[in-house]
Amino acid sequence: MRWMAALIAVCWCSDIGAAPPSLVRDAEAKRIAVVEKVRPAVVAVFANGGQGGGSGVLIDAEGFALTNFHVVQGAGPTMQCGLADGILYDAVLVGLDRVGDVALIKLLPKEKGKPFPFVALGDSDKVRAGDWSIAMGNPFLVATDFTPTVTFGMVSGVHRYQYPAGTLLEYTDCIQIDTSINPGNSGGPLFNDEGLLIGINGRGSFEKRGRVNSGVGYAISINQIKNFLGHLYAGIDTDHATLGAVVRTSESEDDPTPRILVQGMIEDCDAYRRGLNPDDELIEFAGRPVTSVNQYKNVLGIYPKGWRLPLTYRRNNTKTEILVRLEGLLPKEEAQPTRGPRPGRPERPQPSKRSDEAMKLYKAKTGYANYHFNVVARDAMLGRAQAQGDFAGLTGPWVIEGELDRKGQRQPFKLTIAEQTDAESKSTKTVATIDLAGVIFTLDPLKANIDPRELRDPPGSGGLLMALYQWHRLLTLGAKGFEAEFCHGGTEPFYPTEGKPGRPADRRIDAGVLITEHAAVRGKWFHAADGRLLGGEVWLARGEDPCEISLGDLKESAGRKLPHRIDVTHGDAHYGTLIVRSFQLPKKP
Amino acid sequence: MSLMHPFHRLALMLLCIAAAPAPAQDRYSAVAQVTNSKMVKLFGSGGFRGVVAYGTGVIVSPDGHVLTAAGSLLDTPELRVHLSDGRRCNAKLVVLEPALDVALIKIEGVDDLPYFDVVAAASKPLAGPGTWILGFTNCFEIATRDEAMSVQRGVIQAYARLPLQRGVFEAPYTGEVYVLDAVTNNPGAAGGALVSRAGDFLGLIGKELRNASSDTWINYALPAQARIETRDGDKTRMVTLAEFVTLGIQGKYKPSARPEKSAGDGGYHGIVLVPNVVERTPPYVEETLPGSPAARAGLRPDDLIVYVDGEPVISVAAFRVIMGRTHAGQVVKLEVRRGERMESIELKLADRPASK
Repeated sequence: MRWMAALIAVCWCSDIGAAPPSLVRDAEAKRIAVVEKVRPAVVAVFANGGQGGGSGVLIDAEGFALTNFHVVQGAGPTMQCGLADGILYDAVLVGLDRVGDVALIKLLPKEKGKPFPFVALGDSDKVRAGDWSIAMGNPFLVATDFTPTVTFGMVSGVHRYQYPAGTLLEYTDCIQIDTSINPGNSGGPLFNDEGLLIGINGRGSFEKRGRVNSGVGYAISINQIKNFLGHLYAGIDTDHATLGAVVRTSESEDDPTPRILVQGMIEDCDAYRRGLNPDDELIEFAGRPVTSVNQYKNVLGIYPKGWRLPLTYRRNNTKTEILVRLEGLLPKEEAQPTRGPRPGRPERPQPSKRSDEAMKLYKAKTGYANYHFNVVARDAMLGRAQAQGDFAGLTGPWVIEGELDRKGQRQPFKLTIAEQTDAESKSTKTVATIDLAGVIFTLDPLKANIDPRELRDPPGSGGLLMALYQWHRLLTLGAKGFEAEFCHGGTEPFYPTEGKPGRPADRRIDAGVLITEHAAVRGKWFHAADGRLLGGEVWLARGEDPCEISLGDLKESAGRKLPHRIDVTHGDAHYGTLIVRSFQLPKKP
Repeated sequence: MSLMHPFHRLALMLLCIAAAPAPAQDRYSAVAQVTNSKMVKLFGSGGFRGVVAYGTGVIVSPDGHVLTAAGSLLDTPELRVHLSDGRRCNAKLVVLEPALDVALIKIEGVDDLPYFDVVAAASKPLAGPGTWILGFTNCFEIATRDEAMSVQRGVIQAYARLPLQRGVFEAPYTGEVYVLDAVTNNPGAAGGALVSRAGDFLGLIGKELRNASSDTWINYALPAQARIETRDGDKTRMVTLAEFVTLGIQGKYKPSARPEKSAGDGGYHGIVLVPNVVERTPPYVEETLPGSPAARAGLRPDDLIVYVDGEPVISVAAFRVIMGRTHAGQVVKLEVRRGERMESIELKLADRPASK
């Protein structure tokens, strides 16, 4: 057997001298394959005429790419972007999240309609400290042929909260990495070991006495960005949210486990109206347990303003779950006075010929990063809605009959929405009337000196007649019916009330929002991905609860889907359900 | 030969199994979770410029003994720790060992905590250069309460004595350390855990250490096997981390004398420097004692001592360390700045005058 031992010894030696064990080689090969796969989608962003810049990553075939706000800040609406194919593309700003330090841009293909390479989005809530991560980008703008630099490292922490560094720029719920990120990596992708996009690299701890690499970098989680993506695609200059409450940690010495308590509240906010009070203990927010002030800020920081999310609090050993609308964070922007060119100053240089194409995709408007894309997104959403039922021009009388169910008590109702022509001025206006078992309410919103109570009829509904009037207007007139506002409002969760008493999270549908304003009444209309209108909210006054309608039991008639169950909610109260027996719509105009 | 072939294959297979390292692309989230549960965030004194009021520690006994770096952080009766489950507890300093620059503290009112067996770790062989490591710290106070430690990965570059050079690197521990390629030694990181990729304790992450001449930083950890010879009066004594932890937990550890005290026994010069108020007080002369070597050599108040025997002196503390290594009868050459000029002064050190 001695020869066998000798043989093993020989094998041992030869193995040492040979290539590394196959597991290492396999891991390396896998890593290389992942890098090869995602590299074509990594973007080098050149803003400010090549003076500044950073990185980005393409997320769809049309050329939409994510980067940091601070990369495109001050660059104006157009920029240039290099891809690993060595080609420089024109690009235009699409959407902004200034608080979250995210921007969406769009690269213009060299040939019309040619698809771009792009990467798939991962789930950053599944990322754990100790996982591998791959950062790519163009640090120090080192690659003149735009080939991205790859760095490989570890996820050091997840759900990190980083205080605003002197500005509003706040990194919430972010991913901490020891993967090298340097100036120029900003806006670039962070991938997991499978090449799925888990974050956008944004911030390093460079502050340590001038030291460049402190082994601590941060990426904005892709799940936070997903919440804003609908807004970004719609060209919106988005805002983050506040609950309207200040929270603190209980500091009782005999209570080592912290409790998060509401310290103070703004009374003019939804959370207060929903019943949250100072000294209530926060238990869960948006489906996540609230165990520290940082975790509370983490949850709050990843949502756009206006979103409605479930919140569970405890008071006197009773837990209550409420749905809360988040308030905006940024101060309301004043309309900027238009500045003429100042005398004695050189004219701003005209944009180069190259960016002319990009400028065609840009339209300035207050509150928007690029209003052009809002119009595109809005019209696409309306197109999908129209495919579910085309009501255009059917302004003539609508008669809807059925029963109103209020807490089990049923009574017949007859709703009429009809155009009336004024005999003197010859102008037409729409009037809505509802007959509730003989009690008749009429709404003519354009009437002079209208009693504010009339706008909110029937009593207790918060303005059901107004909601139905606006809904009819939306379906029949579209943009023409809303003189003050008619725009895409991004994505928001919608919670249908149709016969499902379960927890809000189980009912949630992410919906595209249309924002309207007519007769000083604002409306929010929620559309499912397939274009179905799920419901709406009608706001009669700021700081007041809206009247909400949830449209269910859709039945198709003459190629149009019509709701046969309309749930009406105002504040915390379910006003009632309209069970529709019949719709009478006018013939085609 | 054809007979040998299967054996050859078998041998290769065996080798592959025996030598199989964890795949290089394994995820270490499980190791991170377990390691994190054996660690605490420390909050103590500090908060002024350059000295942070937070730190890291590793739990070394189920009833809440914590090993951490010695330092001003612990210099408070109101020491607090945050456990990995979010509990906030009070803690007290048990004992510290200046020669190893480590301290043992005890969390009050806890039991059954997960912990590192540092003594068992100390009995294992040292990790060699090239060993894969993970570093766990609360650098930059990123985590509080139940938030997890930051984890970084790297490789042991060397097992070596810290390249201590007076005035360049200043660290109380002068023994051998693991030098790391990961940027682990950040503010608040001292006392963090250096573990193998299986999660075994390898060492305690050290303090921030900067090379004053090149403005570079070194990342290092004190190995579990750390040992150093110290002077204890006239005798020398071997101090080990394992003994410190074992006896410290039992409340029986006797620390060695503070090195500052032994370093004070240099030759007598008679220079009184300005009070040492900040971390790096410049070594200005406050006064010279009458009849002392300094007075005889013509040193004056407000002279700034720049070099001693050609070695830069960056602080009052550095001057004391350097002079502590001298002896009576030695001639020391000082370069001092006096107003706008540099002056060279030679001091012949003397025996300490007998105290009255």
